[in-house]
Amino acid sequence: MTATIFKKELTEMLRDGRFRWLSTSVLVLLGAAVLMGMAHTRDVQTQHETAQAAARQDWVGQGEKNPHSAVHYGTYAFKPTMALSAIDPGVDPYVGVSAFLEGHRQNQFEFRPAQDATAMQRFGQLTAATVLQLLIPLLVIVMGFSVFAGEREQGTLRQLMSLGISPGRLALGKALGVSGALAIVLVPAAVLGVVALTLATPGAEVAADAPRLAMMVGAYLLYFGVFVALSLAVSAKAPSSRLALVVLLGFWIVNGLVAPRAVTDVARSLYPSPSSFEFTTGIQAALADGLDGQSPTDARMAAYQQEVLAEYGVDSVDELPISFAGLRFQKSEEMGNEVFDYYYGGLNDTFESQNRVRSLSAVVAPLLAVQSLSMGLAGTDVAQHRHFSEAAEEYRRMYVGRMNEDIAQNAGAGRYVAEAGLWASVPEFDYQAPSVGWVLANHRLSILLLFAWLAVALTLAMRAASALRPV
Amino acid sequence: MLKATDLTKTYNGVAALDRLNLEVAPGDVFCLLGANGAGKTTTINLFLNFIEPSGGTAQVNGLDVTRQPLETKRWLAYIPEQVMLYRHLTGLENLDYFTALSGTDHYPPDQLRAFFKQVGLQDGVADQRVSTYSKGMRQKVGIAIALAKQAKALLLDEPTSGLDPKASNEFSRLLQRLSGEGVAVLMATHDLFRAKESGTRVGIMNQGQLKQTLTTAEIGHADLERIYLEQMHD
Ligand SMILES: Nc1ncnc2c1ncn2[C@@H]1O[C@H](COP(=O)(O)OP(=O)(O)OP(=O)(O)O)[C@@H](O)[C@H]1O
Ligand SMILES: [Mg+2]
Repeated sequence: MTATIFKKELTEMLRDGRFRWLSTSVLVLLGAAVLMGMAHTRDVQTQHETAQAAARQDWVGQGEKNPHSAVHYGTYAFKPTMALSAIDPGVDPYVGVSAFLEGHRQNQFEFRPAQDATAMQRFGQLTAATVLQLLIPLLVIVMGFSVFAGEREQGTLRQLMSLGISPGRLALGKALGVSGALAIVLVPAAVLGVVALTLATPGAEVAADAPRLAMMVGAYLLYFGVFVALSLAVSAKAPSSRLALVVLLGFWIVNGLVAPRAVTDVARSLYPSPSSFEFTTGIQAALADGLDGQSPTDARMAAYQQEVLAEYGVDSVDELPISFAGLRFQKSEEMGNEVFDYYYGGLNDTFESQNRVRSLSAVVAPLLAVQSLSMGLAGTDVAQHRHFSEAAEEYRRMYVGRMNEDIAQNAGAGRYVAEAGLWASVPEFDYQAPSVGWVLANHRLSILLLFAWLAVALTLAMRAASALRPV
Repeated sequence: MLKATDLTKTYNGVAALDRLNLEVAPGDVFCLLGANGAGKTTTINLFLNFIEPSGGTAQVNGLDVTRQPLETKRWLAYIPEQVMLYRHLTGLENLDYFTALSGTDHYPPDQLRAFFKQVGLQDGVADQRVSTYSKGMRQKVGIAIALAKQAKALLLDEPTSGLDPKASNEFSRLLQRLSGEGVAVLMATHDLFRAKESGTRVGIMNQGQLKQTLTTAEIGHADLERIYLEQMHD
């Protein structure tokens, strides 16, 4: 019986010129977004591979020079782009995916969150994620608003309900009909996406991304399910199909346009992020006078020098068995790191608090839940960005430390030049992206809320269907 | 088979149907006559549980329609005044859909076509989209749907509206045949002539009340018309 209803709903939809026109347009948009995203991701990936290799070559091939010049010469770290970022670029376009690593400073990261926090929430470009998060629900609404209300207006509901079919089965058949029509758009797009993904990236990587892809598909299916069920519920309840459409479009606008902006504003007023100016001047002041604002660098350095002299039991730096230049570089590095840890840590905590507000707000708009989950699975959310920048920063501290250590151990009086072999002794930056489990744990609230939305929407649909009357 | 006991429906304090007591036995063809707004459609809607009664009960085969809305409908077939169909589907597909959902045995296509023939729809029409059908043609599809359901009771709300005289006549004969097979029929109609022809009993309604019940075999056509008009006077 359910199968019969499903088949009839689908047949009707397919014979409706408006549906054919609409679904073809959405399919074209989705296909274009996927292909464009794929091309972009592939470009970024190849650029990164070449750039990473070149950066390493430059580093290793520095020849004989002072290690401190090497520290300033610096190198690059690149965040590996997952193939899935083609579907959801997330915050990547706003925060960048590469970091220039050099001595003395963390703020050379192209991750400049204070500046980009506003841009982070903007979704200007056409991405597959935008199509999936905004256009597909619209398509569902257009297909679903009249399933009951339209039949009531047409009068077919009288005959249908005179047959004695159970409202549950009727609703299920209708839900499947809308889903089936949706599948006609989504399945070709998904096939196109997977084929393009396989062609664009080496096979191994696709296989590695498969669990993330499967979960992303699952997340979006849950999200679409919410809209299918809500459309049914409203269509069964509304006195007219016009009203059903108005109510559903109202929800769509709140979910897709109003809530994300409002929530961003609320999150930022609850947890204000510093302006770029405040942030940089704060760092500069702290670098000069310490975090307490009362410990000038020179004074601290002088005290450190006294400590070292006392430790070695000598009166001047020239009597030290090691080069004080190396120690001084390292000390200044550590003083800087303390400042960076404080400022960047605080900033990241602010962003995490803002993100928590966003995740919680998925209570009013399921978009917020699927959005954060989608970015997470694509490896392009703020958390994974932080993970990467922390790894890059750790690497920077490691190699700068080694350079300073080399100076301390080997530099004597006069000009010191290290051997060319020193550079190769610094291991390459080998970033391990977090596991799926790590991502899921980060987004457990979004997952929970997505399931909750579906449960509520299904309950509403079942209730509305059982109370259905043809007159 | 169909039984109304003090069945009442009020809208904003005004009774659309006022304590209706009625029984339609198997083989009975009960025709409800009455002016526009007399409460005929209301009665049928109550039997279908499309609207909640304000008082009294409607029973089908001994079951209360509000308590067992799905079971009672299994015994019923319904033809509304305006049969509405899915315009993107063909006549045959509509018939197939409604019969499949009726829970009756699955009919093979040629048997479905036979129903079309039986209600007087020409060959070829079955495969056309319903959006090209005339009102009478849709009505005939409605009759075919009801026939295919093989129900024990028919609820007919001016089923022959829009039918040409020949089709109306055939419908009367169809009702007689079904009555002979033991089907209970409750039909709202404005056609006194057809009511006398195909009905076994007629009930005259006015302002929600069943004023008088007559057995058609015992009265002539002229008597029926006279009594009807008398009832309409008060
Ligand atoms: N939804 C409603 N709200 C208010 N009043 C209603 C409603 N439905 C029907 N009525 C009233 O109930 C009364 C009976 O209506 P009903 O449709 O049963 O008449 P009927 O005998 O079928 O008339 P007709 O011959 O025109 O088909 C009418 O006075 C009508 O105005
Ligand atoms: Mg009526």
